[in-house]
Amino acid sequence: MLELAGVTKRFGGVAALSNVSFTVAEGEILGLIGPNGAGKTTLLNCISGVYRLDGGSITFDGRRLDGLPPHQVARLGIGRTFQVVKPFASMTVRENAAVGALFGSGQAHLAPKAAFSWADEVLELVGLARKARLTVGSLTIPDRKRLEVARALATKPRLLLLDEVMAGLNPVEVDEALDMVRKVHAGGITIVLIEHVMRVVVGVCDRVIVLHMGQHLAEGTPDEVLQDRRVIEAYLGEKYAARRHG
Amino acid sequence: MSEAAFSTQPSRTGRRIRRAILIAFLLVVVVVLVLPLTLTQQAADANLDPTTLGIDFAINKSIVRTETTIAMFVALAAAWNLIGGLTGYAAFGNVAFFGLGAYTVGFLTDKQHLSFALALPLAPLVAAAFAGLIGVPLLRLRGHYFAIATLGTGVAVGEVIKNLDVFGGATGLFPPILRHADALFFYLMAANAGLAVVVTWLVMRSRFGYGLIAIRENEEAASVLGVNTTAYKVGAFALAAALTGLAGGIFAQWSSFIDQESVFPIQYNVQMILMAIIGGAGTLFGPVAGAIVLEWLILSLAGGGASAVYAQMGLGVLLAVTVIFVPRGVVDFFGGSSKLSLGYFRRSLRETSV
Amino acid sequence: MSLFVQQVILGLMLGGVYVAVAIGFSLVWGVLNIVNLAHGALVVVGMYATWFLFTHAGIDPFLTLPLDAVVLFAIGYLVQRGLINRVIRAPLFFTLLLTFGINLVLINLFLLWFKADFRSVTTSYSGAGLNVGAVTIPYIRLAALVIAMLLAGAVGFFMNRTRTGFAIQAVGADKDAAQLVGIDLRHVYALTFAVGAACAGVAGGLLSTVQAISPTAGEPYTLQAFVVVILGGLGRVSATVVGGLLFGLIEVLAQSQVPGLGAGWSNAIAFAVLVLVLVLRPQGLLGRLA
Repeated sequence: MLELAGVTKRFGGVAALSNVSFTVAEGEILGLIGPNGAGKTTLLNCISGVYRLDGGSITFDGRRLDGLPPHQVARLGIGRTFQVVKPFASMTVRENAAVGALFGSGQAHLAPKAAFSWADEVLELVGLARKARLTVGSLTIPDRKRLEVARALATKPRLLLLDEVMAGLNPVEVDEALDMVRKVHAGGITIVLIEHVMRVVVGVCDRVIVLHMGQHLAEGTPDEVLQDRRVIEAYLGEKYAARRHG
Repeated sequence: MSEAAFSTQPSRTGRRIRRAILIAFLLVVVVVLVLPLTLTQQAADANLDPTTLGIDFAINKSIVRTETTIAMFVALAAAWNLIGGLTGYAAFGNVAFFGLGAYTVGFLTDKQHLSFALALPLAPLVAAAFAGLIGVPLLRLRGHYFAIATLGTGVAVGEVIKNLDVFGGATGLFPPILRHADALFFYLMAANAGLAVVVTWLVMRSRFGYGLIAIRENEEAASVLGVNTTAYKVGAFALAAALTGLAGGIFAQWSSFIDQESVFPIQYNVQMILMAIIGGAGTLFGPVAGAIVLEWLILSLAGGGASAVYAQMGLGVLLAVTVIFVPRGVVDFFGGSSKLSLGYFRRSLRETSV
Repeated sequence: MSLFVQQVILGLMLGGVYVAVAIGFSLVWGVLNIVNLAHGALVVVGMYATWFLFTHAGIDPFLTLPLDAVVLFAIGYLVQRGLINRVIRAPLFFTLLLTFGINLVLINLFLLWFKADFRSVTTSYSGAGLNVGAVTIPYIRLAALVIAMLLAGAVGFFMNRTRTGFAIQAVGADKDAAQLVGIDLRHVYALTFAVGAACAGVAGGLLSTVQAISPTAGEPYTLQAFVVVILGGLGRVSATVVGGLLFGLIEVLAQSQVPGLGAGWSNAIAFAVLVLVLVLRPQGLLGRLA
């Protein structure tokens, strides 16, 4: 469905991503993990058109994505959330979701009325229906994260990129969020998620890719990857890995 | 925290008061709209030289002039609201569009001897085309950069035109005078003001409007949700330019003389922004209310014997007071869920000061 | 050829004036994130101060500069502490509107006190100049250039070598962190604006020796200071110096070398430079990438 080949992105002289290649298959939930600064969010920005690539290519269902502006990527059916939430602060929860519905993929001529009713459905799915008429300012952090997801879902994506939607949540909230991700996936949406919370990765991901210092380090099922010596080294340093593998 | 969504159930008396205000407002609108016709009728009837008609006529004429000027600023403020209020781009150079519209009509009627009726429709087109042209590079800028770049546009366009002899150079242009047309100019200006409000209303409830507000609130989020931010921003800019240019075109014929100073005043840039903000930027009627109140104040101060110096100083003080104490505009102040009290000012102050 | 050399020299000297005008503007913008639309009016306060001291007390215009700085420092401190601090966290066009309002009030106060008349400061050495071959270097303009460079050096020294300068830099870099280490934000904001205003005062004093003084004489300088900062890049004194000198050169050479352009085109030239830089190199010539 999505194919990255040799993706490279530099900031000044520093390579944030070098030669990253992988594919995402239709219907899977792919985890993207790695220590801070590994380039995970940069990768998402490259896919969604926020950044221009310095090398390599990205194709989505055979169409080149690199070089397209973000709004065209969105209209092809790729939705995303932001790690640092970016709500439309003066709007209500419902209006936020409606913006996604108005402009998202393949519904260029959706009338505002239809967009609002679709927004309501999405809010129901993520559990924000009761708060639809509040302004964003009165939402708690978990609810703001849900709103990010709702807004992205409202664009009717076929591929959804989630950037740390569980970070900062307590265990109960993480469980709720996991349910939400499973529900979204059950609706037939392919998901790529960036996550630090390992319980999430193990809980929902079919496959995991590990990034480290901008490079593709490892790939496999969650269990395989978490046993991988290189991955443990990357996360915890060499000494710890050595002790563990003895 | 805003709980406004739950607290705006109006009581029955509240509804009655609101209805009374609405009716009073409509009555005032009717009077304001009909007045120019009756006031200027006697001149047309008598078909006399206005100067022989005496003091009553002079007063009538000045009332119509005041109304026309106010209608013009309603259009300017409402047009600014499209780019500044809805889209959140601090345009400080809309006077460029006003001047371009004015010079389009001035040039076509004075130098090309076209009729006003044929020249006027071109004014908004020229202004919008120019906005589209400079909008593409300028709207990539954000914040101060955009504000001052547009401020520079206003200054530079005026200067370039002044330096070109085809456009009358420093002498200016003289559209042929239309006699006994005071009422006509008022209705043209009022129609343009009405058009600006209707356009804003249509935009605000359309997909386009949601896109603009999304850009204002968070441009990056808007773009990943599928909003073509460049096209939308340029569209809003050009729309604002068209309405502003139309006002300029009407102004040129109305004043029957234009030069750089009369149609590119930097003051106008700030006046229209102040009007929109005093009324409430981003709202439908805020800029209208702001323009009426402020322009009426300015005109009565300047006309009431006080010198222009004091009027200008008053404007400066008003600017300071407004941005410090009522940053969200009077519409928010009177219409919001908060009670009218000193606390409102104190809260506004606390929100923005260090 | 000597004409061209003459133009280059005049351009650099005009650039010196722009450096003086832009330094305070750049400081205020960089640290407070305020584009001060009243900057031109503050420059005019400096002009009138020098004119007053020269005409009524007979003090040489160049000796009035420290006094200009002191007067403007006080005005600047009060304006920031009393007014601008109140809207500093509001959306940016609120500070633009407020400073525009201050500008209006100041200009109209000048009109009340001094009327619209043009005034000038003419000294015994006003017309004199140094002749090198066919090239003439007016003494006053040369002195203005030298003093502008000294001013730039002084501001650079103040920002990088003094405790207060460090505090201002800290606030400019991260105001929350600066507060955490015990910096009084209100005071530092006011000090920054005061220093910016003092620079405007010195610039005004310099300008009074080379141009006519009137209530609106400062108007063009706000836009030009903006262009200088954009051209050089925001945030460093050296960038303002380069931007100012270069902009002076561009203006003089464009007016003298490009057919059809003349003295009436300075705003249009400024704007053209502004748009070109913003589109091609938004961080300025010496600016760092954001």
